Amino acid sequence: MQIMLLCALFIPVLSGVVLLAVPEKWLPRERLRTLAVAVLFLTLAATVGVIFGYVMGQHTPLTLFHLTRQLSLVLRIDALGMLFLGFISFVWLLAGIFSLEYLNHETHERRFWGFYLLTLGALQGLSMAGNLVTMYLFFEMMTLVSMPLVLHAETHEAIMAGLKYMFYSMCGAYMALFGVFFLYYYCDTLDFTAGGVMTVQVWNQNSAILLVAVFLMIAGFGVKAGMFPMHAWLPTAHPVAPAPASAVLSAIIVKGGVLAIIRSVYYIVGAENIRASWVQNTWLVLALITIFLGSMLAYKEPVLKKRLAYSSVSQASYILLGLAFLNVGAMTGALLHIVFHAFIKTALFLSAGAIIYKTGKTRVNELRGIGKEMPVTIWCFTFVSLALIGIPPASGFISKWYLATGMLESGLPVFAWLGPVILLVSALLTAGYLLPVTIQGFLPGADYDYGKLVKHEPSAKMLVPLIILASGALIMGIFPGGLIRFLQQIAESVF
Amino acid sequence: MNSWLTVAAVLLPIAGGILIPILPFRRRIHMEWYIEALVIATSVLVWCLLLHRPEELVLLRFTDQIVFTLRIDGLGTVFAGLISVLWPLAILYSYEYMTHEERERPFFMFYTATFGVTLGIAFAGNILTMYFFYELLTLVTIPLVIHTFTRDAVLAARKYIYFSMGGAAFGFIAVVFLLYYGGNTEFVLGGFLGSLPGGLNFNLVLAVFVIGFIGFSVKAAMFPFYSWLPDAGAAPTPVTALLHAVAVVKAGAFAVIRLTYYCFGTEMLIGTWAQKLVLSLAMFTIVFGCSMAVRETHLKRRLAFSTVSNLSYIIFGAAIMTTAGLAGALCHMVFHAIMKISAFFCSGAIMHQTDHHFIPDMDGFGRKMPWVYGAFTVSALGMMGVPGCCGFISKWLLAEAAIGAGTVWTWIGVAALLISALLTAIYMMTFVVRGFFPGKDFDYEKLRDVRDPNWKMILPLAVFSIAIVGFGLYSTPLTEFLSRVAAGLI
Repeated sequence: MQIMLLCALFIPVLSGVVLLAVPEKWLPRERLRTLAVAVLFLTLAATVGVIFGYVMGQHTPLTLFHLTRQLSLVLRIDALGMLFLGFISFVWLLAGIFSLEYLNHETHERRFWGFYLLTLGALQGLSMAGNLVTMYLFFEMMTLVSMPLVLHAETHEAIMAGLKYMFYSMCGAYMALFGVFFLYYYCDTLDFTAGGVMTVQVWNQNSAILLVAVFLMIAGFGVKAGMFPMHAWLPTAHPVAPAPASAVLSAIIVKGGVLAIIRSVYYIVGAENIRASWVQNTWLVLALITIFLGSMLAYKEPVLKKRLAYSSVSQASYILLGLAFLNVGAMTGALLHIVFHAFIKTALFLSAGAIIYKTGKTRVNELRGIGKEMPVTIWCFTFVSLALIGIPPASGFISKWYLATGMLESGLPVFAWLGPVILLVSALLTAGYLLPVTIQGFLPGADYDYGKLVKHEPSAKMLVPLIILASGALIMGIFPGGLIRFLQQIAESVF
Repeated sequence: MNSWLTVAAVLLPIAGGILIPILPFRRRIHMEWYIEALVIATSVLVWCLLLHRPEELVLLRFTDQIVFTLRIDGLGTVFAGLISVLWPLAILYSYEYMTHEERERPFFMFYTATFGVTLGIAFAGNILTMYFFYELLTLVTIPLVIHTFTRDAVLAARKYIYFSMGGAAFGFIAVVFLLYYGGNTEFVLGGFLGSLPGGLNFNLVLAVFVIGFIGFSVKAAMFPFYSWLPDAGAAPTPVTALLHAVAVVKAGAFAVIRLTYYCFGTEMLIGTWAQKLVLSLAMFTIVFGCSMAVRETHLKRRLAFSTVSNLSYIIFGAAIMTTAGLAGALCHMVFHAIMKISAFFCSGAIMHQTDHHFIPDMDGFGRKMPWVYGAFTVSALGMMGVPGCCGFISKWLLAEAAIGAGTVWTWIGVAALLISALLTAIYMMTFVVRGFFPGKDFDYEKLRDVRDPNWKMILPLAVFSIAIVGFGLYSTPLTEFLSRVAAGLI
């Protein structure tokens, strides 16, 4: 099954490179699109192959090559990697199908597909990385290949946003690299092991500097996840990209940062080592601030895509908050929220994209009556909004339930009750910033001129991914049993 | 091999270079063939010497203390091996570049002769011989800096003379001290002063060391004596690329390593105020050089400031004063040479093709010069230390050494390296992004005449880019070789 690991990584990477390298005239638009979607399907197939192999008991790591004698690039799949691999390639495919229609109003389509596939490859590599150095490599690669997606429109605003995105991410990556250097020196191995590889002795002798190292890793990788105080790039960069790209940036790439934090904290350092230290407390405070701040800013933001980006800032920190509590319950909630938020946020951004594509409207207050014009799109938007707010039986309720109970069980002073309170306040704000679209959209008021109503429903290429994502977000909330058990096992394995 | 071949390797490019203005070449192509053959012959000879190392050769014996020797050891192997690979490629590039400059023959004369002098530094067997070649290097490169005879060039050359001579004078203090107390001793890893010579005050020894260190690091553009380097960018690009990113500045770093590891010895210096002082100077320069590069809009000057910063990586590694630190420093010496020469060649190609010097004038060029900008991007990624490019390896080794040294002082250095990496990302990538993405309303008609240069410029760039990625992915033999050199096993 090792060949499957290679396929899952190199199919998107190589085809992305090929798409960018071949002359434009060899790839007329139709052939380009067929090829790109074929690659997305193949990648999903390879991912299924990897997962199947893992379930059948193929756990052997695959060493790609050695950078120096001590530094090696290793691919290995475990339960956590499998989780990420699965939803990444699935969501990527759906957003790709959406792009088939959406890209009609963008230029430079070849460049978009090339970097879209490369970014997928980087994320696949990130999920399958077997040690910290490999993960860092793919983390940097992810930043570099996703930047062209951000500045795709090539307006002044987009280019500046792309640069801002890159410099924030690089800053985060270098902060994390500081930690990587120290962990490399003090750990015998950097291979990911559930529960960490740091020995107690070494930790106790050097805990002062190692705590700094771990904190810099959390804060550094947290930049990608939009954690305060380095969140400012996210609302600038995500909205300027083409809608399918903003969807995956906001729903998936943000999770790249989360994955990196999980790997470094739970798989290298060990949760016990930072329990009750200043690192855990600071982490909790930063995550709480980010949740509240993100929701407030989203509430005040008039442009729909920007509002969604602020919402990502807040939601990604739900996950970080859950992780920061360092117990099984909250971590299960965090892992659940990773999956659910990926589906929900993709659907939200794709709906916003469909609205822009069909009507050109970007601001929320222009969306009066939009539900009458594109009912299916707005119904999908409404369902996932409800899921994000956390209204049962939609999926967001399940993850928040686990988050909140995990926090209450943790027994930490102040944070144990402050966490759930902030979650509730933020849920209220989430309702406040998402539901106006639905309410204005379906209930435009008595003075709305129905005579001017034009049907704007997009084509099946846009609607099908939306419907799949929205129903996914609902169904996972109604039948969450299997997923919860699976994620609980992951959470239990690292403590 | 016969040890007289060492002298031959040094003299061949010098003598051959002097012949360039004299020989009656009927066509330019003949001169090109002559020079290329000369340089390649020298490089082949150097590699033969490195692989079959000859005995030490005592050239002249003025007095018992003043002896002139040539000897090849591990450190010299690294430096000589590096420059003898780069020189033929740089010559190839210069042919194309120099078509729009005047007075080619004197230029090539000095350019080729510099090769011999630099080899002299690498092969010098004791501090006095090294000092001789070190001074000579200043003298043969002055005509290269002044070459264009513009006002800037003349001023830059004047500054270059003052700085280099001044630095060498400081270095000379250390040289005399070493000769007096150490005798005519050849370089020994670990130093030859032994325990405190002649009941000297220890602080005095350290002060002499610091003076010598700072003196020799003037050529390596360490703060506060860096400002000659950006100004010297007034020279033609082949000079800036090869001499002011590799040969001359690395000769400075090389001399610093000789002084620290092979004369005074790290055992005596480690943990003293002298080490802390030079470490802090190096760390400050690392961050300072990058910050200056960010605010500079002249492309070559920006790269020159980047060199200021990167040279201090090497000095920082050397100042850690452990075997691992030296290995990291040597690794960065090699990798930075490849990356920076590539970046400079790209900037030279842009100037050659378009006559633009300032970054804001270069918007959109990437679309028209994909090869040049592609090579520049690779080199930018390398200098940022993205994994998969060679800069990552050398930074990794430096950071590992700094952490291994186990003092807070060197840990701060790790932070300095990373801050500098971020600033590097800013000053390199803004240029790349502006080149590829000039904006939606950009008028590409303006760039009708902008295109990639011919193969003589592209070939070196391609070689360097492949080397950057190749070493980034697989560098085990090289890093192991360098750590053996640092441990004195080779």
